[in-house]
Amino acid sequence: MILLILFSWQLTSAFAIQRFPKPEFESGYITPETLLPTPRANVLEVMDVAIFLIAMLLVTWAVLNRRSRKLVFWISIFSLAYFGFYREGCVCSIGAIQNVTLALFSGSYAIPWTVLVFFMAPLLFTLAFGRTFCAGVCPFGALQDLIAWFPRKIGPKLNAILGIIPYIYLALAVLYSATETDFIICRYDPFVGIFRINATFSMFLFGGGLLLSGIFIARPYCRFLCPYSVLLNWISRFSRYHLTITPSVCVQCRLCEDACPYEAIEKPVTVKNPKSRRTIVRTFMLIMLLIPFFVLLGGWTGSRLHETLAMVNGKVRMANELVNPETINGEPESIEMTAFKASGKPVSTLYEEASGILHQFYIGGWIVGGFIGLIIGGFLASRLVTRYRTDFEPNRGTCLSCARCTDYCPIKS
Amino acid sequence: MMKQRLLIIGALILLLAIIGYMVVDLFFTGRDKRENLYDYRLSELRQTDSTPVAYREILHFTPGLSDLHGIAVDDSDRIYVTGSSSLEIYTPDGNLMLAFSLPDPAYCLTVAPGGDLLLGMEDHLEILSPEGELISRWKPEGEHVFLTSVVTNGKDIFIADAGEKNVSRYNWEGVLLNRIGDKDSLQGIPGWVIPSGYFDLGLGRDDELWVVNPGRHQLEAFRPDGSLISIWGESSMDVEGFCGCCNPTHFALLSDGSFVTGEKGIERVKIYRPSGEFNCLVAAPDQFDEGTRGLDLAVDSKDRILVLDPSRNQVRIFVYKDENDENR
Repeated sequence: MILLILFSWQLTSAFAIQRFPKPEFESGYITPETLLPTPRANVLEVMDVAIFLIAMLLVTWAVLNRRSRKLVFWISIFSLAYFGFYREGCVCSIGAIQNVTLALFSGSYAIPWTVLVFFMAPLLFTLAFGRTFCAGVCPFGALQDLIAWFPRKIGPKLNAILGIIPYIYLALAVLYSATETDFIICRYDPFVGIFRINATFSMFLFGGGLLLSGIFIARPYCRFLCPYSVLLNWISRFSRYHLTITPSVCVQCRLCEDACPYEAIEKPVTVKNPKSRRTIVRTFMLIMLLIPFFVLLGGWTGSRLHETLAMVNGKVRMANELVNPETINGEPESIEMTAFKASGKPVSTLYEEASGILHQFYIGGWIVGGFIGLIIGGFLASRLVTRYRTDFEPNRGTCLSCARCTDYCPIKS
Repeated sequence: MMKQRLLIIGALILLLAIIGYMVVDLFFTGRDKRENLYDYRLSELRQTDSTPVAYREILHFTPGLSDLHGIAVDDSDRIYVTGSSSLEIYTPDGNLMLAFSLPDPAYCLTVAPGGDLLLGMEDHLEILSPEGELISRWKPEGEHVFLTSVVTNGKDIFIADAGEKNVSRYNWEGVLLNRIGDKDSLQGIPGWVIPSGYFDLGLGRDDELWVVNPGRHQLEAFRPDGSLISIWGESSMDVEGFCGCCNPTHFALLSDGSFVTGEKGIERVKIYRPSGEFNCLVAAPDQFDEGTRGLDLAVDSKDRILVLDPSRNQVRIFVYKDENDENR
């Protein structure tokens, strides 16, 4: 058996990537330094996916079946070590949003199957069991969970206002991926530099700042930045077997009230003064007007800002530099500009391409703005509606299924 | 309570500052200020510790040729240099003895045990008497022949052809006897990787044929029948290895079986022990002009190392610094 294992391990070398010395070009071309992790051998990719799915299953079992915070914690430590420090934070489900978007909008991009699994599996698990992925598989969440030493509550209003940021981030990430401009989620990935131990000074400050604020505001990235959390939040609201604070009947002991560092426990709201039918109709009408108004306002604002949004695109920026050379204020020529000039491509081609991209951003500006308007309108509308509940319950959208509250609950079976 | 509020406010300010940084960086920096991620500098690699430079230059002279291509020495330590359509012969101390013109440039040369000269003239080989008279001339097989090295043990002639990417063994009449070093997985022969016109040969102390496999940064030894004896060499940006597309470009053998290697890209001459371990530097990159390539090498009977420097148009002679050497 030992020999069999040893020999089977040797088979992995069949998938190894052949080393070949770098060529020295005589045209002056400079070989770029490899900064990304080297491509993964096929067999190891399969292993990554298998470990990912096993970790998802394990953490779901720990949350829903064992209701054990301790187990969830140890699985998250493993995930941090494997998907964070060993796999260097790539592939990650959060960044996969961009790959999926690009695959949908670009005919020339074929999405790797592993990326698709990393994107889809947490969504499917969430649909069935709630956000167990956030609880113990996401290395970003695990890292922040480790340093949430003195979590403080910031209140529901601030929570809701800051909670709009991930929607904006998601909308922009999709816009920039769809227009093949940039992968901004990766560009502003706060923890990948820590995982790879090669963060630039600014990214170190960025990640370090988030971790520092995470000591007092638990999981700030997950709650107020993570664009993937938007999708998980939506889907989790419809989850079939979501975590409950108590396994049977809530005895209203209020022990769990302060258990959640993410402020995702909804307190009981009892019916004191039932609203009249007239009030309910008026509220409904207000909501019906409020939401389209914000969608239109957002869309119009987004379309007005399309040139600013498009300036992130390299081609648009280059075209702008050529048309308005005063914008660079005497700064040295950018690398992209040098490369463009060296390519011998006519400027008219660049202008045509930039014009096409600007049009995409005009349409995208309407959609992104409308989407953000919808979210803001929905947020305001939700303030007009009172939801009644008799027990302490996790908010299915924002609950990260970390199982802290189950530890506090005195009802164990 | 106050302290708690301050903590929350502080953490929130930090969080908002981070979000503000993202917004400013994305929309208001305008131009990509990230440093050139593709910057690749050889200048740092050219810096070497002077300790392992164990040789010193005792003499250099400028041949009356331009475009220097090849250098060789004979049993009497006479120095043969080829360049643009001529060949010059010098005494060991650099005095011109003889010069004669050639019909074409000779890119490589060797001196046979009897004194005959074998010259690789791009697509054909010429054999001259010691006085420069043509004895024979023949063309190796192939459409894209480009001869880069030739050696002989007196019986066979071995030719390295960078154009056809092969090494061949011929007799003196120009009859092909066998190929050497073509890829053969069963024999463990990796095959030639020749990205440019540098492909050198040399004969070891037991008449084994050493060949540079420049794309693989290795030297490989074969018997005349083509069977593999040994391989050494590793890719590395450190001084102990070879780097770039195709190094070493040239080599020669010392009397104890050690290898003298010449490189381009990071211009340097090094010595490796017979086992292939790095021993010392003969000349560091700062002793050459940047961009120098084609550092052909020869070793005379006193183990002086002769370096052909096409950039400075010189033959440079290096000797080992002994313990009493004041320049050591």
